[in-house]
Amino acid sequence: MPMTRREFLFAGVATGAFVGAGIVLPVAISLTDDDGNPDSEALLYPRQRVASLSELRNGEPVFFDYPLVGQSNILVKVGAPAEAGIGPDGDIVAFSNLCTHMGCPLIEFQADHGVLGPCPCHFTTFDLARDAQVTLGQATQQLPRVLLTPDGDDIYAVGILRLVYGYSDSLTGGERVS
Amino acid sequence: MTNAAQSASVPLPPPDATNKQICCEYCPVGCGYRVYSWPVGTQGGNAADENALGVEYPASALSGRWISENMHTVVDIDGRDHNVVIIPDADIQAVNIGGEHSIRGGALAKKLYTGSGPTADRLRTPYLRVRGDLVPISWEMASDLVADLGRHVIDNYGELAWGMKVYSYQFFQNTFAATKLAFASVGTPNYSPHHAPAEGDDTPGLSDAGIDAFGAAYEDFSEADVLFIAGSDPYETKTIAFTKWMVEGGADIIFVDPRRTYTASHALANGGMHLQLKPGTDTALYSAIVREIIDNGWEDRDFIDRYTASRAELDAEGGWRRQLFGRTFDELREYLFSRDEFTPDGAAAITGVPADQIREAARRLSGGGAGERPKVAVAFEKGVYWSHNYENTAAVANLGVVLGSTGRPGRSVGRMGGHQRGGQSAAGYPKDKSPHDYLGNKVEMDTERWLVEGNTRFRWVVGQNWLGAMGATQALREATEQLLSVGPQVTSTDPDIAFDQLKARIDAGGMVLVHQETYHNESTALADIILPAGAWGEDDYVRNNAERRMRLYQKIMDPPGDAKPDWQIFAMVAKKMGYDGFDWEDTNEIFEEAAPRSAGSRKDWLALVEFAQAEGRRTHDVLLDFGTTGIQTPIKLEDGQLVGTPRLHADLTFKSDSGKANFVFADWDEVAKRNDILGPADGEMWVLNGRVNELWNNLSDFTRRKIADDRWPMNWLEIHPDDAAAMGIESGDLVSIESDNVLDQVGRTVTGSFTAVAYVSDIVPPGVTFTYFMFPGSPANSVVSGDTTLQPINLRYNFKLGKGRVRKIGTTGLAETMSFAPRNLALGP
Ligand code: SF4
Ligand code: FES
Repeated sequence: MPMTRREFLFAGVATGAFVGAGIVLPVAISLTDDDGNPDSEALLYPRQRVASLSELRNGEPVFFDYPLVGQSNILVKVGAPAEAGIGPDGDIVAFSNLCTHMGCPLIEFQADHGVLGPCPCHFTTFDLARDAQVTLGQATQQLPRVLLTPDGDDIYAVGILRLVYGYSDSLTGGERVS
Repeated sequence: MTNAAQSASVPLPPPDATNKQICCEYCPVGCGYRVYSWPVGTQGGNAADENALGVEYPASALSGRWISENMHTVVDIDGRDHNVVIIPDADIQAVNIGGEHSIRGGALAKKLYTGSGPTADRLRTPYLRVRGDLVPISWEMASDLVADLGRHVIDNYGELAWGMKVYSYQFFQNTFAATKLAFASVGTPNYSPHHAPAEGDDTPGLSDAGIDAFGAAYEDFSEADVLFIAGSDPYETKTIAFTKWMVEGGADIIFVDPRRTYTASHALANGGMHLQLKPGTDTALYSAIVREIIDNGWEDRDFIDRYTASRAELDAEGGWRRQLFGRTFDELREYLFSRDEFTPDGAAAITGVPADQIREAARRLSGGGAGERPKVAVAFEKGVYWSHNYENTAAVANLGVVLGSTGRPGRSVGRMGGHQRGGQSAAGYPKDKSPHDYLGNKVEMDTERWLVEGNTRFRWVVGQNWLGAMGATQALREATEQLLSVGPQVTSTDPDIAFDQLKARIDAGGMVLVHQETYHNESTALADIILPAGAWGEDDYVRNNAERRMRLYQKIMDPPGDAKPDWQIFAMVAKKMGYDGFDWEDTNEIFEEAAPRSAGSRKDWLALVEFAQAEGRRTHDVLLDFGTTGIQTPIKLEDGQLVGTPRLHADLTFKSDSGKANFVFADWDEVAKRNDILGPADGEMWVLNGRVNELWNNLSDFTRRKIADDRWPMNWLEIHPDDAAAMGIESGDLVSIESDNVLDQVGRTVTGSFTAVAYVSDIVPPGVTFTYFMFPGSPANSVVSGDTTLQPINLRYNFKLGKGRVRKIGTTGLAETMSFAPRNLALGP
């Protein structure tokens, strides 16, 4: 079934089905661009193992690049129910950790509050339990959310919502992770 | 889906995209932006020579060249879909150097009218209310009605019965056109700005010290050793002034506010101070700090001796306010030392700020007599002058003067600003016609009191949620509804019948309400006639930022539908009313005509016009040469070159007849009396209101912007965890805030209430709550006094002294989707 990339992404957000229910996302579905033309390989997100459920501890982040080398992300078990969270407690989420204000790296996860930040550059704080909403600060987008799916003990990244800092397209302009 | 926030790409502008300049619409900082537009269907590439930004993509961190999804939109330009990218100007040499921006300005692209999506409900045609419903009418009919009804009111009831309420800040061309009608043509004193019931000075105490409220340059915030910031969180509401100029300068920050906001936490985490005073006690705190400075001999003696006025000089001053309240250093000292309230312990009891913090602040501000005197910049805003207007601005002025904080790099005292500065009146305000006075001295008319008393028969509101912005909102609304219900309602779209019916209402003692707007709001909901207005980016305009930096704001697109730029609407009506001088071709012509009126003021641009004329060019074009960096007014012509003025008072002369500065009487007894009247009664808490980082003003843009709407889907009330626990309130609960103890415009005791979602946070201390000041559907100013007789020197509301009983009335369902995390987590060095 052809879907535009945008429909494909929205399908994930709107239903939450494939992530919530742990269904493995079909990564090879055929995509079309907004004008209905068959889309190239470039629009397909890779499926990449990024963490294991049993090794995750509340509040201890894991960092990984996805989908392109240098597109750094943070995966964290927030420790409290998180919007679109996966895992047995529905609290595992991952986001790009390149600040969507001006691109500084976000590394400080504050487990007490479930927030990432303040950003060292201009102090934006993102609420990771609320889809990386800007709790306070200057970023003009929520952080891009990495779509996650569990497969046994493994957690896979299968896509990313919203534009990654620095790029005009989250999937082009760099080398894929392998 | 054009505006979907979830798309994962934005098109890069191709090298041949149209490239214009504009500055931010929102806060007073006025960051510079570039606007790229090009037809849909093409886009630039990642290589530097393939895009208009001229940079290699992906853009690097802090490059200021990344286009986020909210920096892009698609609009109709000349009948064809165009991509528009509005991105901070990374080449600007001032303000937001390096392309810095806030969440507000960063999403400016989403402001533009798109024809579908959230901005689709822009007003595009004039309306007339017929049998209660708004029906579209032509411009011809609308302007005839506005002109003819206005003429009827002026001819039969006098010019005081004809009033306008117009944004004070918007663009020079529009405020000039409005005041050319109101002051120069009609000659009415029934005119007031969006934020106050009366024209006039917002910071009279500082003015009476001889100091301009906007004298500082942003460099002063960087060069200062100590920043004394009061009554506004600069991170949240003047963001780039804070991140770029205050933080990067590394000054020791002393932050004064009842709330522990981000800037308070930032100050504390970086060796600064937070003086967490009780609401309404600024005068006592600043006076106590000044007293402590004087007590230790830490005042700037040299500055005081050379540049402050003697008693004889004060006696010779022409203005009545300075005559009444101007003080010499010795007189100030005598007052401060005559009162226990101003000792560190006395002030601690009043303000809640510990005595040792008062002593420490005095030491840091003055250097404590050791070494070189620190450079101090005192920057304040509405928390100071909208709790107690005259006394607080006098007291903070005294702090600036005693420290010699003015006119020199790193030394300043003044406002941070609420809006940018686009006000230029075409004629003097006719104060002699005002019905209001203080001790026999005329003060500007309180137009809201005048209206509630039934004296206004025609009111024309321009560019604001008028009712939501005034004190005792709900009472004012009821009074307005009453005036609009007198006599007949319009039952026909026939122009003659409609005119006769509205005229009959006026003759029966009622009022006709005209509202000129971009979107419907809570005030347009009452209007008889609505005039659709153009906005930012829909014509060429000029205004200044809060450091007097003047820039050209270029037109991006036409106003939607039949909407017209404000100046054209004023001109159309003025001509029909029979007034001359409204035959402008464009905004450049207005800008040039207005220049002589600016001469001698802080925004003086006469030299710019003279220079342009000598060169045979349009003034707008000359200003465009200065880019988004612009030029700081007053502008001078030196050796054939246009030269700006970085800071005022640089020659250490001041705005007084003697040219000297002076101290000002900040009468604590008046403040204490007012606090008794306005403060919380039994069972009530303080209900402070103000702005926050992610929103701007009446939210006309921001309820239509997903990132803001997701963050703040409804108004909220910050409440301390202890108070919340005692009342069984949790974050996400729906609360009612009510007071039956509010004074309205004519001094009656009325009730006011609103609802909000509870945000439990120690950002507020116990006993104090905070809410957004003008959230649609949540009239926070309804628990604020509307009675200006409490401040008769300068008729202003005590906006920051609301109060009410808080009670849980249910839940909102927002607990799972809205962030209730702390908004004041700061980083140390
Ligand atoms: S700091 Fe102010 S002027 Fe600058 S982008 Fe933000 S809202 Fe606009
Ligand atoms: S880069 Fe993160 S807040 Fe500016």
